[in-house]
Amino acid sequence: MTECNRDIDCRSAVQKLWDYLDEELTPDRMDEVRRHLERCGDCLPHHEYGRVFLAALATARQTDARAPDALRRRVMDSLRAAGFNA
Amino acid sequence: MTAPANAAREDDLRFEAEALPYIDDVYRFALSLTRDAADADDVVQETFLRAYRSWHTFQPGSDARRWLFTITRNVFLRSRERERRHVDIEDGDLEALSSFAAATDQERDGSDRILSRIDLGPALQRALNELDEPFKSAVVLVDLEDQSYEAASEILGVPIGTVRSRLFRGRRILQEKLMTYARDAGFTTAQRGQRGSKDD
Repeated sequence: MTECNRDIDCRSAVQKLWDYLDEELTPDRMDEVRRHLERCGDCLPHHEYGRVFLAALATARQTDARAPDALRRRVMDSLRAAGFNA
Repeated sequence: MTAPANAAREDDLRFEAEALPYIDDVYRFALSLTRDAADADDVVQETFLRAYRSWHTFQPGSDARRWLFTITRNVFLRSRERERRHVDIEDGDLEALSSFAAATDQERDGSDRILSRIDLGPALQRALNELDEPFKSAVVLVDLEDQSYEAASEILGVPIGTVRSRLFRGRRILQEKLMTYARDAGFTTAQRGQRGSKDD
């Protein structure tokens, strides 16, 4: 087990971990968690686990999905029927 | 052309320039929510129809994509209202913290290493398909569409704390589903066999 020289404790770091991974903390809080992770061998695996999980989840995004031409026509037809006239 | 007709034409041109270019984004978001191409088509058509009819409520200069996502999500929910299961778990930091604590316990049990060894792609797709509302929308917006908590809060019409709670809960459910997948694939046995080994 690694000895922590904590600015924040492990509980606080773990509680903030998702926010940290999502970059939703204030800059000061981001620094606190980052410093803790650099020093704490217990919390670092949690961070890695979360990071790998979120990276995998991001790949589930259908990045190459484009609205099919038939759908574009369908949308335009329904808009015109509603009075769209551009 | 009369003045009202001119104004209407101006509105339509603005709609064409500011809303219609996001049709691919709306389609992708609808596809993420419905996980079905035909259902996504219906959601997209209804989204743009509603957007056009309420275009006068759009604040010029604000984020049209975010505005369209709000409508998309509402259309999706309405389309699923009959089959949507009521989920009692809701808001609050305590919920978020307890779900994260549970996830932490799971990691200490070796789940993180199991998940690192399996191909997450197909399992994640399946898990996302099965994820219920309101968690799915939060996960799709933040984790797939890269929206901030604030943007997700605006799109979903709930406080940021609720987004955070739903997100944590949704991720936790996904992780549980992935662990089930891993167990079915026989990874748990292999992992247990390595407990206390040099991997630890």
